[in-house]
Amino acid sequence: MASRFDRPGLRVQEFVAQALIFLTYAALAAWMKFGRRFTIEELGRVRGDFMEQAGAERGPLLICANHLTLIDSLVLQWALAPSWRVAGRRGLFAWNLPDKGNLAAHWWWQVLGYLGKCIPVVRQGTPEQARQTIDKVAWLLARGQSVVIFPEGGRSRTGRVDTENAAYGVGRILQAVPETRVLCVFLRGRGQTGYTDFPARGETFVIGLKRITPATVSDGMRGARDLAVQIVGQLREMENRYFDDALVDR
Amino acid sequence: MDRAAAFDKVTGIIKPFVKNIEALKGSTDATRIIEDLGVNSARLVDIILAFEDEFGISVDDESADKVRTVGDAVQMILLKTATAS
Repeated sequence: MASRFDRPGLRVQEFVAQALIFLTYAALAAWMKFGRRFTIEELGRVRGDFMEQAGAERGPLLICANHLTLIDSLVLQWALAPSWRVAGRRGLFAWNLPDKGNLAAHWWWQVLGYLGKCIPVVRQGTPEQARQTIDKVAWLLARGQSVVIFPEGGRSRTGRVDTENAAYGVGRILQAVPETRVLCVFLRGRGQTGYTDFPARGETFVIGLKRITPATVSDGMRGARDLAVQIVGQLREMENRYFDDALVDR
Repeated sequence: MDRAAAFDKVTGIIKPFVKNIEALKGSTDATRIIEDLGVNSARLVDIILAFEDEFGISVDDESADKVRTVGDAVQMILLKTATAS
């Protein structure tokens, strides 16, 4: 679990982020809707599915998504729940784990990252750094929070769910907080052909959700791998369905 | 098992995960698995689990974290197989 030195900082961040949630959400929604002209296909259905599959229950929630752009977690937060719902249920305002290097690029990103409940992480860091991140996430989950995580470990360089390079950290998190609910989320812009920093202006996003209960009889690293493989496999399956449907739609 | 045999087995297990095959051909105890051989850090777990299967040993997280070089892996395997026998 998070060290006693990390906990006060995370508590303060959560408090500040929750206190300013309407402001943060309004800025985020305005930028997405009017600045970038993004839209979510069947937004009402997506939010309904989210509440039905995960949002209505209390307790730890791990939102596991595929990853193609730097702002996937922002799009997801905007899409899954409106501000009034998140304001009433602080657990629904998900924590994120962006790359420290990306977040450090501009001071305003750091401010937005703080208000957006981001915990900067070092990609390809040392085992100790990875363990610290997992401990923080486990501590937040144990407090009934939700966390967005990208099990592929980074934006997929192939443009498809990257099963080859997927990390197993998500499995370790589930081992640390076994009661965590897992919601797999497939997110992709209709015009997205590969990985990019940002989606194209005017992009329309498709979102699919599926709650799963990963299980394993193994413990330790082997168990973590089993759990992570099931989650990434589910994302791959959702992606396959997306492309199959796209072929049918043609 | 002697050190040379362990070294050969270790490099054989690592090989499918290596991006820099040339570095593997000339590898020594000091060759770093991630930096020199180009193994993805996430795949280090697969390599450790393959060691467990191949050598019939159990590797805890702490021991796994200490494996940075081919020599570290060989040393860990020799220690654990000696303890097991």
